[in-house]
Amino acid sequence: MQDSLVSAWGGAALLLIAIVFSFVFPSPYALGIGITAATFAVLATSLNLVFGYGGLLSFAQVGFFGLGAYTAAILVVDTGWSFWPAALAGGVLAALLGVFIGFASLRLSRIAFVIVSLAMTLILHLLAKDLAFLTRGPAGLPGLPAPTVSIPGLSPVEFDTPRTYYWLSLTVSVALLLLVRWVIGSGAGRMMMAIRLDEPLAKAQGIDPLPYRLLAIGLSAFIAGVIGAVHVFNLTIVDPSIFDMYYTEAILIMVLLGGPGSFVGVLAAALIFTVLPELLRISVDARSLIYGLLLIALALFLPNGIAELPRRIARRARVSSDGDRREADG
Amino acid sequence: MDPILLLQQLANGLVMGSIYAMIAVGLALIFGVLDIVNFAHGELYMIGAMATWFVAERIGLGYLQSIPVTTLIGLVLGYAVYRLVRDTGGSIERAIILTTGLAMVLQSSAMLLWSATPREVHFPAATGLFELGPVVMPRVRAIAFVAAAGCIALLYVFLHHTHLGRTIRAVAQNPRAAAMVGINAHAAIRLAVITGVVLAVLAGTLLAPMYAVHPVMGLGFLVKAFAIVIIGGMGSLLGAAVVAIGLGSFESLSSLWLSAVAAEAITFVLMIAILLVRPQGLFGRSARL
Repeated sequence: MQDSLVSAWGGAALLLIAIVFSFVFPSPYALGIGITAATFAVLATSLNLVFGYGGLLSFAQVGFFGLGAYTAAILVVDTGWSFWPAALAGGVLAALLGVFIGFASLRLSRIAFVIVSLAMTLILHLLAKDLAFLTRGPAGLPGLPAPTVSIPGLSPVEFDTPRTYYWLSLTVSVALLLLVRWVIGSGAGRMMMAIRLDEPLAKAQGIDPLPYRLLAIGLSAFIAGVIGAVHVFNLTIVDPSIFDMYYTEAILIMVLLGGPGSFVGVLAAALIFTVLPELLRISVDARSLIYGLLLIALALFLPNGIAELPRRIARRARVSSDGDRREADG
Repeated sequence: MDPILLLQQLANGLVMGSIYAMIAVGLALIFGVLDIVNFAHGELYMIGAMATWFVAERIGLGYLQSIPVTTLIGLVLGYAVYRLVRDTGGSIERAIILTTGLAMVLQSSAMLLWSATPREVHFPAATGLFELGPVVMPRVRAIAFVAAAGCIALLYVFLHHTHLGRTIRAVAQNPRAAAMVGINAHAAIRLAVITGVVLAVLAGTLLAPMYAVHPVMGLGFLVKAFAIVIIGGMGSLLGAAVVAIGLGSFESLSSLWLSAVAAEAITFVLMIAILLVRPQGLFGRSARL
């Protein structure tokens, strides 16, 4: 109860920051970073959903992200769909693929899922480069048109400036995040947590983990796919670099830092880790080296995220003061 | 189709398959004793290849002289991997995150040290061609095949006919029972992890004189090795070796008709199909270690 209250206030605070941000930093550059932050917030949450709540480590989220992006772009450019149904189709296709690989690999083990998730992302990357008739090969699909919204009676709104696109990506992100939040808070979400915390116990209660795991994978793939479409229509181009391992590394750091299973913690980590590299401006290889070391340090010392740090310090202080008292008693 | 061409492609495939086998068998060995998957395995192989180039070409010691150095690097890295994953408390996800972090560190360090430029390694003692009936290939490839097959044969003898090797198999089959009969499980696991890593590093060393080497070569091989161990049955060394040879041959033969990407895609589909139809893999758990 208390956690969900913290999460609601934290979420509202982050939303307020996002709204104020666009007025304080109206430059196209700053708004561009804001759009990237909204993208990463959803992408990191998709990993948090499948890993932090579903208990399945996944390297597939960036694959879903790229699949959604390519699907939407191809539908818009080649078949003349409008942006919104195309983005939705991208998310649905990603979800279907996710449920399928999840179903296949979970027949063996959670490790098999991790392996297949990495292989899937790599295969999608190769196909994006190779299936030129569909994806235009390494050059990708440039010149994606700006999404529009037409409300009857009003003139259609075109999202063709950084400012308008910022509002579009913020709205879509918040909608996707609320959807995840709703599922996590529902009975299904509590089942996921129960399975993650103690699988044998959950099974003994007659809970079959598979449907809940597939729900986590499917929903996480859906939001990753939709935000992938939103991401590339801002760039106005999609090319194979969307499957870059960098995204996978970044969202893994965000989830571990924010704490797997902590909704607002991961959102905050996503914002910080979008803005920080922009400010530091280090080379890609140095960044990857630092991220790798950070990943090892987090997994070794803080497996439940940085949010655990104050709690752990408090516990240590309590233990040592207990020790003092015992000595005084003796 | 020209039968000689087919035979030629098959021979090339066997060479590549034997390199895959060294990588996949090491991965399966580590999984067998610890139930964890080493996501840094592809980068260890890359380090083997790049270190070979560095010692043989940049320092100029020559190819054969570089082998003891890369073996030593393999031993050190093997111990590092063991230290990293030994206390993960049975959390497979944590072990994967740790080895993924190690993979990132290894790859970015290689990039920072040596840049992404592809490098060539020369093996002057093995220039010229090797001919066996109608099959012709560069002599370095024939030597690499013999060396890789020799490594795997040695591993087999080690695991089945030496006391130390048997302790590894005992721990893989039942760690508790092994501890009860007085086997030091930690020592056996350490030995198995180091052996697996050295195999990957040496696979890189064997590949180096055949193809250009570069710091981003690791990931593709990791995914191939994953497909091999899933199709062969996780933890099955025999399965890993047989499927690796099969995959090398399939890739080589299919290159006559298909693109490399199509072959990768077929391998992925095959992996999914195995998971759906026979999740324990072709060789199953019974063939473990």
